[in-house]
Amino acid sequence: MASSASMQLSCRQATFRYPRTATPVFEDLSFEMPGPGFNALFGPSGVGKTTLARLLTGTSRDFAGEIRMDGIDRVLYTYNTERLPGWSAVGTHLERIVAPGQHDLRDRLVALFDMQPHLASRFAQLSLGQKNRINLIRYLLQDFQMLIMDESLANVDEPTREQIILGIKDLFPDRFFLYISHNVVEVAKFCRHILVLAAKGRARPASVVSGRDHNRDGTPDRERLERAMLEIVNAA
Amino acid sequence: MLPRRIVQFLIIYFLGLAGLLAVKYGLQLSNYVIPGPALIWQTFQAEAVRYLRDVLDTMSIAIIGQVLSICLALLVGIVGRQTTWFGSFVKVAAYNVQAYPIVALAPIIFILLGDGFLSRLLIAAMICYFPLLLSVLGIMAEPIRDIEHFYRMTGRMRWQLEVKIRAFENLGKLTTVVAGSATLAMAGTIVAEFIAANAGIGYSIRIALYQSDLGKILIALFLIGISLSVYQGLLEWCGAFIRRTWESN
Repeated sequence: MASSASMQLSCRQATFRYPRTATPVFEDLSFEMPGPGFNALFGPSGVGKTTLARLLTGTSRDFAGEIRMDGIDRVLYTYNTERLPGWSAVGTHLERIVAPGQHDLRDRLVALFDMQPHLASRFAQLSLGQKNRINLIRYLLQDFQMLIMDESLANVDEPTREQIILGIKDLFPDRFFLYISHNVVEVAKFCRHILVLAAKGRARPASVVSGRDHNRDGTPDRERLERAMLEIVNAA
Repeated sequence: MLPRRIVQFLIIYFLGLAGLLAVKYGLQLSNYVIPGPALIWQTFQAEAVRYLRDVLDTMSIAIIGQVLSICLALLVGIVGRQTTWFGSFVKVAAYNVQAYPIVALAPIIFILLGDGFLSRLLIAAMICYFPLLLSVLGIMAEPIRDIEHFYRMTGRMRWQLEVKIRAFENLGKLTTVVAGSATLAMAGTIVAEFIAANAGIGYSIRIALYQSDLGKILIALFLIGISLSVYQGLLEWCGAFIRRTWESN
């Protein structure tokens, strides 16, 4: 695995359009985002957050410009409407995908995500928030250097979401997370860097804003947090 | 499931019969053209046992033909689900072949194989195979993206898992397709018996047709309908049972 200190995500004049469409999803997108850490991808609906995320996973190379991921070899992408197969309990599914030696991590994640009481349930029997949580746990148990979480905690209540994000930051300090969210307070508070994709027509299609990177042991500075939020909103 | 199918068939059958009797009495047709209720009942008492045996004979061939078709359709459907050139070739070939009326090939089969068991079986299997194949191909070639994404992302996807996910997610559809193909297999066998076979309910209907005996034909239709309803009801019950068992494991 590459050294986490040398992680960097950069993009130079990237332009992408879907086949048989005239308008590009984004055009001349350039940014540099250092890693590792818990970072965010923010922007209004339709600016190409999910499209950019899919390009980062390498599933499509049909774009102009350059996307570089220094020190990042293995990228995983997860989104909030994913499902687990219905033929086994979610605990059994977790058991099947956990790598040898990772059982301790699994137990810690299950406790952190408050999913212990639901391991015997089928996926269809869970609430939306529980579904999101169990799905995210199985990704965190995989071997990755960058994990793109596309609204992965969308249906989770705020206190639990906060516990989960802080827990992830404690457990995986050397990984690069890219958290796609529409919650400006959350990304400003918890993320180290926020890649903001601007609405169409803005002069700068992308900006990287510094967030407060709040951890379990610190107290968020309200004034600085509000400034970060304002900067994010202005860039979008 | 099973009682509902039987009740539905009985309603349709007796509505049809009432329509025929209305025509008979409305136009004052003789018993030679459309027999009255008493004559139909007499025919039922005289022929029901023999016809039931014929129906079971036909149905046994239809079931064997259907099972062969299901196995083959699953095999080809699993191979054809792939986005490789071979998968595309299988899909295109299946779509083109199914556009041809397979029953028109029946005379060739009878010339080559004679009018026995094998010809009836082959025609039954061929008639129910292609619609079954198209449905299985459609189901197996359609990704369940929300579930498959994780396994693809993490490199865990195997063809067995892919087939399992798609079959599990479409078990209801597969059950309906299999139950529906029973009608096709039965129709194929009866058509084969109409054309040239020397046994089965199709053969008995052909004899009744030569005798212009509508009563016998009505009894044959009644027994075919009841037997098929029971069989389809059992297939649906099996599908529901498999799903329940699969979900509770």
